[in-house]
Amino acid sequence: MQRSLRAILILMVLSFASIGVMAQDDMTDERMLLTFIPNVQFSPFYMGVDGGYFADAGFNVSIEHLQEPEVVDLIAAGQANFGIVSGEQVILARTQGRDVVYVYEWFQEYPVGIVVPTGEGLETMADLSGLKVGIAGRFGASYSGLTTLLESADMTEGDIQLEEIGFNAPEVVCLGAVDVAVIYVNNEPLQIRNRAQAGECGDIEDVSVITVASQADLVSNGLIVSADMLAENPDYVSAMVMAFDDALQSTINNPANAYLVSMNYVDNLPDDEDFIAAIEALASSQEEFLATDPTREEIAESRQAMYTTLAEDYDSDMLTQFQVLLTTADLWDAEVLGYSDLSSWETMRDTLVSMGILEDADTDLEAAFTNEFLESES
Amino acid sequence: MQATMHKPKQKSAIHQNYLSVKTLRRLSPVFTIGVVFFLWHIVTAMEIYPAFLIPPPSAVFEAFQEAVSSGVLLENTATTLEEMLFGLLYGVSIGLLLGYAIAKMPLLEQILSPIIVAFQSTPIVAYAPLLIIWFGSGTTSKIVTTAVIVFFPTLINTIVGVRSVTPQLKDLMRSLNASHWQIFTRLEIPSALPMVLAGLKTSSTLAVIGAVVGEFVSSGSGLGYLVTLARNQYDTPLVMVAVFTMTVIALTLYSFVAFLEWHLLAWQRRSSR
Repeated sequence: MQRSLRAILILMVLSFASIGVMAQDDMTDERMLLTFIPNVQFSPFYMGVDGGYFADAGFNVSIEHLQEPEVVDLIAAGQANFGIVSGEQVILARTQGRDVVYVYEWFQEYPVGIVVPTGEGLETMADLSGLKVGIAGRFGASYSGLTTLLESADMTEGDIQLEEIGFNAPEVVCLGAVDVAVIYVNNEPLQIRNRAQAGECGDIEDVSVITVASQADLVSNGLIVSADMLAENPDYVSAMVMAFDDALQSTINNPANAYLVSMNYVDNLPDDEDFIAAIEALASSQEEFLATDPTREEIAESRQAMYTTLAEDYDSDMLTQFQVLLTTADLWDAEVLGYSDLSSWETMRDTLVSMGILEDADTDLEAAFTNEFLESES
Repeated sequence: MQATMHKPKQKSAIHQNYLSVKTLRRLSPVFTIGVVFFLWHIVTAMEIYPAFLIPPPSAVFEAFQEAVSSGVLLENTATTLEEMLFGLLYGVSIGLLLGYAIAKMPLLEQILSPIIVAFQSTPIVAYAPLLIIWFGSGTTSKIVTTAVIVFFPTLINTIVGVRSVTPQLKDLMRSLNASHWQIFTRLEIPSALPMVLAGLKTSSTLAVIGAVVGEFVSSGSGLGYLVTLARNQYDTPLVMVAVFTMTVIALTLYSFVAFLEWHLLAWQRRSSR
């Protein structure tokens, strides 16, 4: 009796295992090429993996972090299928023979701005004339954003003292080595503000941001694929776009849940038990709130309420990364997620031409992006 | 008579053979470079990889001409050279002085070695961002980065070189009432020189790495900056032009130190014959 029971158990285990193998066999391995380093800003991708959105679409996604040019080259060369880069990279890459297409606008607002100390009368671009402005380097989204801001105020680079400072804006600003700095609005200003409030940022007591988005609509970070892939296998691309769209929506709706998932990917996130329990409670109550079918505005308010709730019990050091996620969610949110507007591409192209790094102002922008997968979804 | 006529001819033939072998040896690097260029051309002509990943030599040459005529290459090379040379000057000077002092005072070695080894065992890319924050984004931080990276080989080789002085020779000089200065200039410097110059050879190639790492982290000029800029503009031929220029600088500097070594250590070759 015991022997037959054991045989049945082994058979059951084997059949479950084979179902697991079959399920895995049905999945397609995919690389998702991201930039920078693991960070809460990439939580929609972590949600995509751990939340099962990619798996539901048949993808077994592995996340890799590279530089933007490497992401573009690997995709253009057919060595990877999906990646995230900023819009200006797509325009530049296409003019240099990399046939990549932008299929989903992840950031609806351009995330670059200039962080300025408050209380010094620095409110507009004109106020920055003659000041030392720090920038990561004369390339990429930061430089495009700065050029747009300068042009919006009829200024040129000659009107400011531009200094390359690498990705060290919080340290350099707090040391006073530059007066202001070009930054990502969802990250560095929060870090500088927290240091200032802790009295660790020289004479700076608080900061504000002059955003690029307030002056112009530039195309920002989004999902790219190769033109070959798009032509040969649009259904495959569509499946990935829809899966990411669902993961992004889920992150925007419940950033507390996304933060918990991000802990599996991002090192150095606060792991205080009480704090984690508080985030778990927020995630749970947010799920209940979402079940009431709230409007987009109500969800946005609920995100802010999350921060207010946590701020009552936890200090800024503990809250910074959660705050980064909440601020970033505002930059992703839109009536139609992923939609890319031709005018934002034209503004970006004009910026690149005025920067002198794009010669051909007649670049075929309509071939550089598509919204077809959003339309098919709707 | 015939025998006496035959001897010089044989000597001349041997001499000619020696010359042709010597010439071949000298030309071998050119041959190697030629083979590399030929293979490169073949790979690009067969379109094994897209041209945007490996551009053909002709595209790189065009980019080189353009970079030269526009002044971009010269301007950025000058910046990197300045950073390298000043970095070498400071790093090597400090390495020599400290190396000599440590060789003479073992206590100093015990005090300083934990710091020196800890600093050296950390990859330069790890603390280059800190140097940018401490010394600013201008050339100073790159000079410091270069000085730090060239310091260690100079220091170690100086210590080993100075300690390689034969004690019997030192005793002999002392017995002849030689002054400290005489022992230093006539015995210690010549004895340590082979090791010091070997360290300088290593330092000269590391200097390029130091300057370029600093430029990668943050800069508005230099060959490292040019690579970053070209990479972000998807201009692969210009990236290769900048990389080749770095290689040429490193080789030139290395050859200069080798030439210096050949001259300064002529006595060693003479005495070993």
